[in-house]
Amino acid sequence: MTAPTPLLAIRSLRAAYGKIEALKGVDVEINAGEIVALIGANGAGKSTLMMTIFGKPRARSGQILYEGRDITDVPTHEIAHLRIAQSPEGRRIFPRMSVAENLQMGADATECTDAERDATLQRVFTLFPRLKERYAQRGGTLSGGEQQMLAIGRALMSRPRLLLLDEPSLGLAPLIARQIFDAIRTLNRQDGLTVLIVEQNANHALKLAHRGYVMVNGLITLAGTGAELLQRPEIRAAYLEGGRHG
Amino acid sequence: MTAPSTHTAKPATGIVALLKSAFINALIALVLFSLMVGIRTEAGHDGQLTYWTRFGELASLVAIVFGGSIVIELFRQWIGPTGAEKLVPPAVRNGMSFLGRYLAPALLIFTLLVPVIFYNQRYILDLAILVLTYVMLGWGLNVVVGLAGLLDLGYVAFYAVGAYSYGLLATNFGWSFWICLPLAGILAAFWGVLLGFPVLRLRGDYLAIVTLAFGEIIRLVIINWQDLTGGPNGVSGIPRPSFFGIPLDNSDDGLAAKLGIEYSATHRIVFLFYLILALALLTNWVTIRLRRLPIGRAWEALREDEVACRALGINTTTTKLTAFATGAMFGGFAGAFFATRQGFISPESFTFQESALVLAIVVLGGMGSQLGVALAALAMIGGFELFRSLEGYRMLVFGMAMVLIMIWRPRGLIGHRAPTVYLTKAKAISSDLVKEGHG
Repeated sequence: MTAPTPLLAIRSLRAAYGKIEALKGVDVEINAGEIVALIGANGAGKSTLMMTIFGKPRARSGQILYEGRDITDVPTHEIAHLRIAQSPEGRRIFPRMSVAENLQMGADATECTDAERDATLQRVFTLFPRLKERYAQRGGTLSGGEQQMLAIGRALMSRPRLLLLDEPSLGLAPLIARQIFDAIRTLNRQDGLTVLIVEQNANHALKLAHRGYVMVNGLITLAGTGAELLQRPEIRAAYLEGGRHG
Repeated sequence: MTAPSTHTAKPATGIVALLKSAFINALIALVLFSLMVGIRTEAGHDGQLTYWTRFGELASLVAIVFGGSIVIELFRQWIGPTGAEKLVPPAVRNGMSFLGRYLAPALLIFTLLVPVIFYNQRYILDLAILVLTYVMLGWGLNVVVGLAGLLDLGYVAFYAVGAYSYGLLATNFGWSFWICLPLAGILAAFWGVLLGFPVLRLRGDYLAIVTLAFGEIIRLVIINWQDLTGGPNGVSGIPRPSFFGIPLDNSDDGLAAKLGIEYSATHRIVFLFYLILALALLTNWVTIRLRRLPIGRAWEALREDEVACRALGINTTTTKLTAFATGAMFGGFAGAFFATRQGFISPESFTFQESALVLAIVVLGGMGSQLGVALAALAMIGGFELFRSLEGYRMLVFGMAMVLIMIWRPRGLIGHRAPTVYLTKAKAISSDLVKEGHG
């Protein structure tokens, strides 16, 4: 389970918005080929951790190592060139641009040949056939689930090694959420994509993930395999039985 | 729209609703006007109240309200924002889509022929040159406001930089228009970048305020730097453009003499017309090309969502700066043209009102739409001339027209945005891919 160098290693990372400290020394490791889930309540700092990997906000102290290289101070726009992609919270697709253009935006930043681009596009269409049907439509006219598919598809267009997903099931009907989770599992198994997934839907996320971290108030309080965490009574009490999805 | 029943059934209820609302409006008008107009009261000879009825006027007013509300409602349903139900007859709809397809080429051909058709009407030629100048300014600002979504209230600054660049270089060093034109563009682009740096972090209202201030700063510098710019006196004696070195005048070296035709002052006007038309078309062509390149897409993505842009690896700093620089460059070209056309420039030509006018053209035309901006420039500048006879009421009519357009067409005259990416090959979607997923 532990590879010599993890794909992404976060060491005692601290980040703050002004005086409010959101991350108080976080350690997370993600190995190549893994799905890692990060669960926790609202305001625990999950999204902040994801944003800090992209340098917004900048880390106050600590290190972010990607393939052993320190990327803590790399400018935000260069992170994507390292083949780390992000599907941000709230999807953030480009509403007035077409689905095609949204996807092309993902490919624009990375240097790839037309053939590579077309191959990736076909892969995205295989995963999310809806996007092919909606190809010429404006992004803003898609349903919530389709927008989430588009956000993930757009991230995939940069052919990432590491995919960061922030709340992919937020506001989606359970059936659609399951489709999204299935696609993530397929990507991991067939394409060997490494995934860090932030979720409130702990049940789904932990079933999907190889390993999980539980975050409370800017600190990692629990870590373990997905199955282990699902069995822990405190997890069941805090996130599963009292939660939205039993 | 395929089933014939939709044509017959739906408009019927629509017409009933239409007549009903018009009837209610007319009733309200009747109640209101019956006392206000229907009965006229006056003090009689001995101070007693005399009154008489004016049913004719009352009836015509109510009829106007009745007819007017039908017309307005129809107008709204035909061209307004997509409502639930459209009353547009198929013939009209087909006509409109036909118009949409051929309007731009037809307009272009007509524009090319304007000097031929109106050769002897100097006023119309001058007006056409003015309209084209604003079309070019509108297209230039469209890059910044329409595509990149950066609200720029100080666009006139770049117009001024371009005009003064040409004016000063030509009068001081005697450089020709064709050397100064690219220089004016480069200088304006340089100032665009200079404005871009401090406003990189700003958005929306804050950005608008800073760009507004920038426009004023440039104007005040021009007024006060008397040694260089001549201050409020402006720069005069700016050379007229030459036809690639051959002057367009009455001399023996002039173009008319060389071609062996009789000299006419109109030649220069026609030349200016085609010059600004070429510059405007260059702006349009470059913008259309850029939109299909990654940088143009990045501008539009920036307008939509800056956070997502950064996450996708777009350098927002360079993206914003290139948008400012490109827009400013076209403003600079237009400024150089303005200087050579007028032969005289002063700070008075570069007030905030110009910025506001160009911005109004872009917003009215539909942010990002090239044809819309051209139509809006025609409507704004041409309309302004058209209503000249109304004098004091001109601005009132204008303001009202703008309010109405913003109500009915909140996205501008042409809100449609043409996509820039297509599938490389139309591949058939196999049925096993399609049948899943109904979300």
